[in-house]
Amino acid sequence: MIIKTHRGTRLSLVAVLAAAALGLTACSSDSSPADEASPAAGGETTAAAETTAACDPADVVLIGQVRNETNPYEASWLDGGDAFAAQVGLSQQRLTYDGESTKQQEQIRQVLASGDAACTVLNVLPNNDSDTTPIVEAAQEAGAWVITQWNKPADLKVADYDHWVAHITYDGVEAGRMTGEALFEAMGGSGNIIALQGVLDAAAAKDRFTGLEGALADNPGITLLDQQTANFTRADALTVTRTLLTEYGDQIGGIWTANDDMALGALQALEAAGLLGQIPVTGMDAVPEALQAIADGNMTATISADGMWQGAIGLAMGYCVATGELNVADIATRAFFAEQTLVTADNADAFITPTLNSSDFECANVFNRIAAPLP
Amino acid sequence: MQPGALGVEAGATAVRTPGRPALARGDLVQTLGPSAVLVVLVVVFGLASPQFRSMNNLHSMVDAAAVLAVVTVGITFVLLLGCIDLSATGVMAACSLTTSLLVANTRNALDLGVWGVVVTVLLGGVFGLLNGVISVRLKVPSFMATLGVSAIGIGVATVMFAGVQPGLVDPWVSGWATQRWFGFTQLAYLALGCIIIGWFVQRHTRLGRTAMAIGGAEDVLILSGVRVGPYKVAAFTVAGCCYGLAAAMATSQLGAGLVQAGGGYTFASITAAIVGGTLLSGGRGGVLHSMVGVLIVSVLANGLVLIGVSPYVQRGFQGLIVVIAVGGAAWPLRRRLVVVK
Repeated sequence: MIIKTHRGTRLSLVAVLAAAALGLTACSSDSSPADEASPAAGGETTAAAETTAACDPADVVLIGQVRNETNPYEASWLDGGDAFAAQVGLSQQRLTYDGESTKQQEQIRQVLASGDAACTVLNVLPNNDSDTTPIVEAAQEAGAWVITQWNKPADLKVADYDHWVAHITYDGVEAGRMTGEALFEAMGGSGNIIALQGVLDAAAAKDRFTGLEGALADNPGITLLDQQTANFTRADALTVTRTLLTEYGDQIGGIWTANDDMALGALQALEAAGLLGQIPVTGMDAVPEALQAIADGNMTATISADGMWQGAIGLAMGYCVATGELNVADIATRAFFAEQTLVTADNADAFITPTLNSSDFECANVFNRIAAPLP
Repeated sequence: MQPGALGVEAGATAVRTPGRPALARGDLVQTLGPSAVLVVLVVVFGLASPQFRSMNNLHSMVDAAAVLAVVTVGITFVLLLGCIDLSATGVMAACSLTTSLLVANTRNALDLGVWGVVVTVLLGGVFGLLNGVISVRLKVPSFMATLGVSAIGIGVATVMFAGVQPGLVDPWVSGWATQRWFGFTQLAYLALGCIIIGWFVQRHTRLGRTAMAIGGAEDVLILSGVRVGPYKVAAFTVAGCCYGLAAAMATSQLGAGLVQAGGGYTFASITAAIVGGTLLSGGRGGVLHSMVGVLIVSVLANGLVLIGVSPYVQRGFQGLIVVIAVGGAAWPLRRRLVVVK
C-alpha cells in the first residue's frame, strides 16, 4: 500500500512536470510562427487587426466538434465538415466529447493552445446553453474563429464578440408547428393524438412542444389525449408508446414526437401491436432510418435541419473570415435561425442520399440560408 | 415463488450465522416485504385505472419488463457475491451492435441467424470474464473494473457502429418482439427461460451456493480452504452472458443495433435487484427476489402513466416509492446491518 502511494505521487509529479513542459512548448510555438499572429492575439483593437491577420488558406486549421459519432445526425455533421475541407484542399479535425461538458471545454483549450490560434476555425455544437459562454470567451481570447450551433444562453450576444463569427440555430417552435400540421393533414383534420416530448428541461424540447400546442390551437378538430416524455430516446419511446396504446387503444389517430429517435421507437411499438403504417407518426431531425421509414410509407413526416450542411457551413464561414475574404464587421446578421425543410413521402428520396452543393460554401453565399435573425 | 425464496433465505442465514433460527422477524420482512409492496402497488393501480387491470396491459407490461428481467438475473449473481457490476450498459452496447451485424441486416451480407445470437451471448460472457479476471486477479475493486469494461464496451460498439446504424432485417430476431404466443411476445418466454435457468443455477449448482456463501462471509470461506477466485470469475461471466442475451433482445425490440441499447439498464437492474430484496452487501436475496423487484419497477413505470400522473413529476415519484420500499424492507434489519456503505 505504502509503496503504491509512493509510486502514485512520483507518477503525478512526472505528470505535472510533463504538463509544465508541454505548456512551455505550447507558449513558444504560439509566439514563434508568422508575426501577423501575435498582434491579433495580443492586441485589444482586434477589429483593426483582422484585416492584417489574414491567413494563408493552406494554414487554416478546420475543427468540427460534436457530442459523439454514434448518433447518425452528428456523424453526418462531421461528414459534411470533411466534404467542405476537401473542397478547399484541407482536412477537418473531428472531435467528439461524449456529451461531457468538461471534456468539451478541455478539448477546446487544447486545440487553442496548440498551433496558430488566429488561423483556427472551430465549428462547435456546445453541449448545453451554459457551455457556449466559456467556449466563446476562450476563442475570443486566443484569437481563433468560432461558430456555434443550436445552444446559446439567450442573453449572450454574438455581436459582443468579434471572433464569434456566427451562431446558427433552428426555430423549434416553427418545427413543432410544421410537423404538427403535417400530422393533422395525414389524419384528415380530425381525431386524437398523443405526443412524446423530449427531455423536459431542454429548450429544444420545450420549443417543439410549444409549436405543437400552437398547431393544436389552430386545429380545433384535433384533441391531445396525452403527452409524456420519452427523453429523446428510442427505448423510452417504445415503452411509453406501448403503455399509451394500452390506455387509449384505437382512440389514437396520430403520434407526434419531438425527434426521429422517438418516432422510430413509436414505430416499433406500432409494429409490435400490428398497427404499423396505419397510424401517422411524425418526428424531427431527418435521421436516415426515419427518412427510409417515410419513403416506405410507415412514417408521415420529419424536419430536416440538414446536418451535413451544418457541419460544412460553420467551417466555411470561419474559413472565409480567417482568410480575409469576409470581415466580421461587415456581416449584417450573425445570429440566426437557419431554413428548415419538411420532409414527407414526396421529397424523402432527395434527403436519403444527401449531397452538398459546393456553391453554398463560397464566401459570398455562406450567409444565404437565414430564415430569420435571432430575437 | 415464495417457498423457493424462503428456502434461499434460510440457506443464506445458515451460512452467515450457524445455529440461529432460520427465519427471524427481520428476515421475514426482508423476504416478504417486496412482494407485499408489489401487491399493494397492483391493487392501488388496479383500483385507480381500469386500463391497468386489462389483459392487454399485462401483456404490455411483461413485454416491457423482459429485457430488464434478463439483465437483472445476471447482475443478481454479482450482487450475491457482494460485488457490483456497472458494465451492463457498455456490454449491451457492444453486443447489440454484434447481433445486428451478424444476423441479416442493412449494413453487410452476413446472415448467421441463430449463430449470430450465440456469438453475441458468448461475447457478453467474454466481457463478463474480463470483469471477473480484472477484479479477482488484478485485485481491482469491482466498481472500477466494471466501469472500465463498460467504457471498453462502448468503445467497441462505437467502432462497429462506424456512423451508419445497422437496421435489423432478420425475420427470426425481429420476430421475438412481434410474434406472440398466448398474447405474450417471444421475448417474454425467452426471459422466463432465462429466469428459470438463473434460478436453477443459483439454487442447485455449486456456483450458485458458493456465490451466496462468498457474499455472506468471504474471509471464512478462504480460511476454510475454498478457492473463491474461480467462483467469482464464473459469477461475473454468467452475468456477462445475460447481458449478451438481453442486448440481442433489446436489439429485436428496437429494430436496430444501437450504441444506446443498454442505456439505463445498469442502474435500473441494480435498483430492481435491491428493491426486490437482494442486498448490495451480498449473501442475501437471489434471482426470484430480484424478479419481484423487476415487477415492482415495471408496474410503477406503467401504472404512473396509466393513472395520469404528470410526466413532470413521474421520475421523482418513482424515486420516492423506491426509497420508501427499500427503507421499509431494511428497517427491521437495521441493527444487524452494522455497516452500510
